[in-house]
Order: sequence, then structure tokens, then C-alpha cells
Amino acid sequence: MNTRRPVAASLAVLGYIVMIAPLFFVVITAFTAGSTVRFPPDGFSLRWFEAAVTYQPFMSALASSLQLAVFAAVASLALGVPVALAIHRGKIPGKGLLEGMFLSPLIVPELVVGLALYQQFMIGLGMNNLTTLAIGHTVLMFPYAVRVTGASLALIDPAVEDAARGLGASPMRTFFTITLPLLRPGIFSAALLAFVTSFNNVPLSLLLQSREFRTLPVTMLDYVQQNYDPIVASTSVLILAGTVLVAVVAERTVGFAKIFGGINR
Amino acid sequence: MSVTSAAQFQAVSQVFGDFTAVDAIDLTIPEGKLTTLLGPSGCGKTTSLRMLAGYLRPTGGRILIRGEDFTTAPPEKRNLGMVFQSYALFPHMSVADNVGYGLKLRRVSGSERAKRVTEALEMVGLAHLAGSRPKQLSGGQQQRVAIARAVAIEPDLLLLDEPLSNLDARLRLQMRAEIRRIQSETGLSVVLVTHDQDEALEMSDQMVVMKDGRIQQQGSPQDVFPAPANRFVAEFLGYENFVPTADAQVTVRPEHLHVNARQSPAATSDGLSLDGRVTDLAYRGVDVLVTLAADAPGSSSPDPIRLVADLRASTAPDLRIGDEVAITASPGHLVTLPA
Repeated sequence: MNTRRPVAASLAVLGYIVMIAPLFFVVITAFTAGSTVRFPPDGFSLRWFEAAVTYQPFMSALASSLQLAVFAAVASLALGVPVALAIHRGKIPGKGLLEGMFLSPLIVPELVVGLALYQQFMIGLGMNNLTTLAIGHTVLMFPYAVRVTGASLALIDPAVEDAARGLGASPMRTFFTITLPLLRPGIFSAALLAFVTSFNNVPLSLLLQSREFRTLPVTMLDYVQQNYDPIVASTSVLILAGTVLVAVVAERTVGFAKIFGGINR
Repeated sequence: MSVTSAAQFQAVSQVFGDFTAVDAIDLTIPEGKLTTLLGPSGCGKTTSLRMLAGYLRPTGGRILIRGEDFTTAPPEKRNLGMVFQSYALFPHMSVADNVGYGLKLRRVSGSERAKRVTEALEMVGLAHLAGSRPKQLSGGQQQRVAIARAVAIEPDLLLLDEPLSNLDARLRLQMRAEIRRIQSETGLSVVLVTHDQDEALEMSDQMVVMKDGRIQQQGSPQDVFPAPANRFVAEFLGYENFVPTADAQVTVRPEHLHVNARQSPAATSDGLSLDGRVTDLAYRGVDVLVTLAADAPGSSSPDPIRLVADLRASTAPDLRIGDEVAITASPGHLVTLPA
């Protein structure tokens, strides 16, 4: 921490406390032996973790969420990587405008996106809610795919691709033997980011849910409105643990500075 | 037609919007020789090289390689070995895989490929680093790997884009000799782009001086250096003194000017003979740079002209700023240029 800027340093510490302290209470209450959410907890046990992993609605919602997140991550990358390539390597006019447009789903409120999808796709085109959710999440994850792979593409010296061409590789061969391997860490971290963002998404999933297909965060939200027992805390801790694990892997493989550096530039 | 040229530019142009980078140049790259494209940045030398390599399609004219029209062929159809300024090694591959990449694409079998990779690496003295990654190598070593990779495919031409500009001064001198050695060992036709006239003079069989997308002069260093064709080439090669005459101008190198204390009015001779005054002195150990203001009889302007003399410190006369001097040069050292 920079000791020569005490105000900034204090604010940073305060910020961390505000963000982390509530989580601390959630984590502690998840380990309670009692049957209510209370602090300090009534003894220590893992019974609410057991309850969480055996509670059928949560587990089927978890399966739904995982399915959706995997689909959204894969689909957004399948679309996002070619777009990033076109923006960074293609000879197209108005690249800046194009890139801005592809990032716009980050700016439009998700409830608006959700409502639009609901009206046009579910009501208008009669799509089922699984398809609509898959499309919605893919659209939301798309900017991450474009930006993160774009950031790692910008770090690749175009002369390296030229060199491959000069040695006899077709454009396709150059992409698969040179560009794609060099892009792999970027694609990997984009996939992780998209996966986590989709998995944790509430607004869109809330609007487009149905009785048959409901994601975990939405199911938990419903549950909290009816009951107030520590099973929600223990489930949250499990999700938190999973998310942190994914973040650590992303940091180790590519580094946040590289991932978010691209967004700030 | 017999094949005596490795490549030919026929009225080749490259126009970007309203900027003409290369303006209808005609150029023959001789077989088995080292040709340098020399000029300041923006003169069109790198653009010409990139058109020859296939990375840029000419907007006019034709490019022939070994007599065949390759004007519109993409780089992968040309069999040319290109060494990039940034070296452009594949960071995710070992040195050996970098050098073997082009051979693999040519479906050279595994054992034959290994043999040729080793040969190429031995040629640049790096066989012991075959298993390393590019980022573990120094700049000079990366440069050698890039050359080995380009030479391994047995290209019709070896193209080098400012290959020495990212190296430190000592390494640069060493690599000049190294590239010459590789050229003569392989007998390859080489085209090298540089902005450094010393590099071009030392390395070239043929040098091509460019400016504003046009060729100013071409020929062997022995032909070009003593006889620059115009003022631009003369200045680029270090001629600093330009004296206007009745209908032209003469130029002379700083080391060929003589400066002596004035005894009597300057004697007229065949060579250059001017009266002048010392305006600045810079002692540099081996030599002394003398800046002079000279009266120019042929000049239309009343202002004196600025001349620079590079005198050997051991034999230079004792001069002070303000001294009135006689400035002379022998006729053999004068080059007449168009005005």
C-alpha cells in the first residue's frame, strides 16, 4: 500500500471492509448448528451444507445454471473470437464504432434487455424460455468475449502471422497454428469470465424464468422470500467458493491486469 | 528469356489514398547478390520490400520473380524467406520448431526436416539452443534464429527488413559480416532494407538509394559513393559542402577540404579555392571539425556559404575562431551536381 497517500490508502481499506465484511457474516452463519440465521451462530456444524447439497430444487437449479453458463460461454466465444479478429486484423472502416457497438450490451440495463427479449422472442416468436435465456445470456456475455480476446489479440505482433504466411502457411493454417495457440490464454479467461457472469446473473434470468427452467440465483431468491434458514447461507458459501476458484484460475493463467487492462484502455 | 535476375519491379507503384509511397519504380534484383534498399524513413523502401514479399499488392505495375509474374500472388505462394524487424519468432514454439515450420508445410519428412533444421541452426551458430523458447534468447540470438528460419526453406530470395536496427552498436557490426557470410555461403539473392548508409556501403553488391517513392541512384557502392547523382544522394552519403557555380553546383566531402591561414589572395587553380572565415571548431580526438563561412563567387545570394572541413588533428594548422583562411580542394575530389 502506498504510505505517501494516506487518504487514498484509508479509502481503499474502507472499501475492502464494506465489500468483505457482509460476506464474512454470511460465511460464519453458514456453519451454524442452530436452525436460524443468527450472529453469533449457535455452535458449529456442517449440517446446512449437507442440507444444501441434498435440497432437490437447488440442485436441479444448479444443473440448469451450469448448463446455461456453459452454453453462454461457448456461444459468446464462438461469435466473439471472429468479431475480435475482424476488429483487430481486418481492413474494415469504422473499427472504433463497431467495437463500441459490440460492447453496448454492457451499458444497456439488463432488465431492458430482458424485457425486450421477453416481448420479442417469447411472446412475439413464441420461443420457449430456455432458448430465450440462452440467447439473452449469450448476448450479455458477448462483450466480454470480444474485449478479452481482443485485448490478447492486440498483444500479438502481427508480423508473427505475416512470418507464417511467408513460410508458406495459408491464412487458415496461420490462424490454427499461430494465432489460435497464442490466443488460448485470452480465450480461456474470456470463457471463465463469461461463465461466472452468466452463472451469477439475476435480472435476465428473473424475467425469463419458467416453472420448468429456473437458475440457481433466482431459485435462492424465491426461497429467501418464503423461508429464512441457514441453507441459503451455506449455498451462497458454496457458490462463492466456486467463483473464487474460477477467479484464481483466471488470475494465474492470464492475469486480471491483462483482462481488465483492455477494458480501461 | 534466360534467368539473370532474381526479381524485377516493372513500373511498380503503391498508392495509399492520396499518398504515393512508391512511384512507378523499375528495379532489377540480380541473382546471387546482396542488394540494399537505402533511404530515410518514408522513402518507400519497406513498402517495396513488402510488395516483393506479397504483403502488399501493388496498385500499379508488375513484380516478376525468376521471370514469372507474381504481382498478385499471396506471400505463401512465393517461396521467399523474410526476416522481420521485430524478428517475429513464434513465441509458443521451440527454436527448432520455428526453423522447421516452413519445412513442415512443405511436407519435408521428419528425419530430413531435423537434419535441415540442424544445418540451418549450425549456419548461424545456434545448434545448441534448438530446444529453447524464443523469449529465452537475446536479441542477437533471436535475429539469427529468424535468419535460420528464413534460409531453411531454401527461398528464391532472402528479404531482410531493417534487420540490424534493434541491435546494439557492436552486435550490429558483427551481424553485418555474419549476413554477408551467410549470403556468400548460400549463394542466395538477398534484398536488405536499411536507413544506414554505412551499412549499405559495407554490405551491398548493389545499392539502391530511394527518396519519396522514387529511385535516386543505383549501382555498386564503389560507383555510387564517389559519384552521387544528385544533392539528396550526396547529402545522404555525408557530402556536406555544396558550392554553387554558374550553372550547377559542386560538392566535396568534409575530409577533402583543406584549410590554411591566408597568405595572399587565394590562388586560382583547377580545384576549389575560396576565401573564408572560421566560425566554429570542434576537437574530436582523431580529427577536428572546422565550420567555415566562405565567400562564394558563383552564388546569387550575398550571404556567405557554410562549409565543414574534417581535418586530421595531427596535421591540422593551428586555427582560432575568426581566423581568415584559404579553403581549397583538389579537382579529383569535386563532384559536379545538377543545380
